[in-house]
Amino acid sequence: MDYDVVVIGAGNGGLTAACSLAQRGVKTLLLERHNVPGGCATSFCRGRFEFEVALHQLSGLGPAEKPGPLRHTLSKLGVVDQLEWVEMDNLYRLLVRDDLDITLKADREAAIQTLQERFPAEKDNITAYFDLVYQFCIELITIYSSRDPEATPEKYPAYFEYALMDTQKVLDKFFTDPLLKLAVSIYWGYTGLPPAKQPFSDMAMLLFSYLELKPYHLKGGSQALSAAILEKFLQSGGEVRFNCGASKILVEDGRVTGVVTEHGETISTSYIISNASTISVYTEMIEPEHVPAEQLKKLGGSTIGPSSITLYIGLDCEPQEIGINETTNFLCASTDMEDAFTACWEIESHNDYTLVSCYNISDPDISPPGTSQVCIVDLKYGESWLNIPPHQYFELKEKVAGQILDRVEHYFPGFREHIEEIEVATPITHMRFLGTPGGAIYGFDQYAKDNNMFTPPRALIKGLYFAGAWAGMGGFQPTLTSGTTAARQVLKDIKRQAGVEI
Amino acid sequence: MSISEMQKMINGHARIAEELEICRKYGIDYYSQRGKWTQAVEKYHPRRLELRVSEKFAENADTTTLRLVSTSGYFPPFRAGQYINLFVEIDGICTSRPYSISSSPAQNAYYDLTIRRVPNGFVSDYLLDEIKVGDVLASTGPAGHFYYSSIHHGNELVFLAGGSGITPLMSMIREVTDRNLHRNIHLIYGVRKPQEAIFHEELLIRAQRHSNFIYDLAVSEPEPGYEGITGFIDADLIKKQIGDVSGKTFFVCGPREMYSFCIPELEKMGVPGRRIRREVFGTPAEVTKEPAWPKEVKADAEFTVKLTRGQVINARADEPLLTALERAGIVVENCCRSGECSLCRVKLQSGKVFQPSTALVRKSDQQSGYVHSCAAYPLTDLEILL
Repeated sequence: MDYDVVVIGAGNGGLTAACSLAQRGVKTLLLERHNVPGGCATSFCRGRFEFEVALHQLSGLGPAEKPGPLRHTLSKLGVVDQLEWVEMDNLYRLLVRDDLDITLKADREAAIQTLQERFPAEKDNITAYFDLVYQFCIELITIYSSRDPEATPEKYPAYFEYALMDTQKVLDKFFTDPLLKLAVSIYWGYTGLPPAKQPFSDMAMLLFSYLELKPYHLKGGSQALSAAILEKFLQSGGEVRFNCGASKILVEDGRVTGVVTEHGETISTSYIISNASTISVYTEMIEPEHVPAEQLKKLGGSTIGPSSITLYIGLDCEPQEIGINETTNFLCASTDMEDAFTACWEIESHNDYTLVSCYNISDPDISPPGTSQVCIVDLKYGESWLNIPPHQYFELKEKVAGQILDRVEHYFPGFREHIEEIEVATPITHMRFLGTPGGAIYGFDQYAKDNNMFTPPRALIKGLYFAGAWAGMGGFQPTLTSGTTAARQVLKDIKRQAGVEI
Repeated sequence: MSISEMQKMINGHARIAEELEICRKYGIDYYSQRGKWTQAVEKYHPRRLELRVSEKFAENADTTTLRLVSTSGYFPPFRAGQYINLFVEIDGICTSRPYSISSSPAQNAYYDLTIRRVPNGFVSDYLLDEIKVGDVLASTGPAGHFYYSSIHHGNELVFLAGGSGITPLMSMIREVTDRNLHRNIHLIYGVRKPQEAIFHEELLIRAQRHSNFIYDLAVSEPEPGYEGITGFIDADLIKKQIGDVSGKTFFVCGPREMYSFCIPELEKMGVPGRRIRREVFGTPAEVTKEPAWPKEVKADAEFTVKLTRGQVINARADEPLLTALERAGIVVENCCRSGECSLCRVKLQSGKVFQPSTALVRKSDQQSGYVHSCAAYPLTDLEILL
């Protein structure tokens, strides 16, 4: 074999997978079609700005004195100390027309207090809800991290009652004011499904994780993280090929035997960890006769998640000058998030849900003095963008960007006048640079049935593993973690094959 | 109790398991959809275009337009101001040059590339002298960020062009006038001598026919008795021709020297940076004359470049690394050849290169040793990850 393991794609999951393996002495080759590592975790330059592509609020890291699971994962890879982490004080500011303007601190007590001041009639409901979120998450962590063999509904009532319930049902049970329900569930956009469709465990863990471990950014942006992991991989003897995508995965008798690069070179290996989507792997990279029918059937049970319209903007003023005082801002025109979600299927942007991130608030070095870097995201399914007549594309792109900016202007007057650089990314742009089906940014839609509990990323083909958003959830923490998980599984199998005791 | 046994006790588990079964039974046939996303991207960003020269006509003594049609019959849309990177093979060396599309995006039947002969130009000589009607060339899809945006550029535009820098602006002028768009354009076109102006007749006619387009030719080396506008495009000249600059967006395109001259002039007049758009700088004609060039390294110094798999090639100090790789027959994807688009980025494992200040290299690239090979000049022996 040329390599013990070939990792396809140097996105978050591919990088951590490759790095973990190399550090354990496994002969690993990392293939990447682009010329730098990172996938989404990257940046690009326009004029005097270097735009962060994908990282908004890193979850799961936690302060050094109170490390979260992601800090452990990254520590093992040896990249935590060389990066400069930026802790954010606040979760977000939520603006709903003239009805609500609330900023929640990344602190349980402070967040509760702020909510209680704004919604005094539901003072007790608020306390009760946060109690539930905490109890639920602690139960979940206890069950899975300590692998309690006696986990029962009697012992862990919150987990067994609520894990698979949709978030909206829980919100309706605890609260009456729709504004309050929105104020505690606005993070839904980070997983892609509105509260009515999102399992409570996803919502609870998001909120709990950000409250307990704080949201983070890092100096140099997400590319600094990707670069650091790649560096460790190389130092550990790993090999990388850039500008070298994988075009085929070779399978014989139900077992991986190699990979063919886009340049036609065949590389033999017994293990592949694919950071590329399961859809691409099973429908394009493996010859149809080697793909078990059962595998395609499983694949067909999940739907492709949202892509987005993302506006990368450099302003020639300080953020405060136009009223941006928080890193993370959610703008909503109503409290009906099911409506907002339906709008994700339309090409034009009438979404009632927009994320405006301005990194300068927590990291003034992110752009030159006197300027600000803003990233605006509207979730959009890619499907609608596939059949636009090409000659109308540019006009449409600017029209949609204009619609989003009109809404932003309402909350931050003067915004548009200060635009120095703007790059508009559509689902087509995401398809181009991420290479994902539908330009999806989080992998599959994350309904309860798509949870690893029901849909484990296990492949029927031996030697084939997955890392990244398509192997579980999207977002930085899940994808970074998925790589080390896949590496662990591969290592286990290598040892088993070698007859070594584990 | 196993985890999956335990999970079955979760409220709603059975219902969701059943839902999943139904979703799979009536699920999506992804196999039948394969390739559809790649095809969607290809409509806009084909990896390569195959182009046939359908016409070739002289614009003036040293400038010729190649009219290119697509051999597949399909052209991706482009934005007026964008360029394509044209691949050529000359004397066994595969290289490329970016050329702005000068035709209007109002039609998509052909792309015009208007090419001026560069003194000792390896590629421009070849394109002007060797390439004939009927020849087939390859290129990248349209690229570049020098285009008008309705989002923040407004409707009052001033174009400052120098020499062959008129070509992307010509595309914008043609688009606005052909489509009768509600934008006003005032072009100041700087040339040394009047006969160097490209598209002069057409510009005069368009200015005559369209009240939203004004054309001024500024000649810096006039013959005695020349009656038109003379001098360099400086603050005084701009002020005289344009008047009030407030609310106007400036598009500047020309040789490297023009940016370092004109942009400070605009800033002097109080034009904010957000209202100044410029095309890529290009690479220095003589890199050793750059202010930051280390004097101890001579232009003709030769170094070795070691590639990942052991191959060793030679590289001159005064030539970009990309050129050295191309001379050695090594293909590196590239596009702008000006240090800005990042397609030709490679990782430096050891050694030092000179990068002109205009190269747009990310902070993280600087920290981890990535360079844009089209704008990186060897100063020592190098090892690169390629």
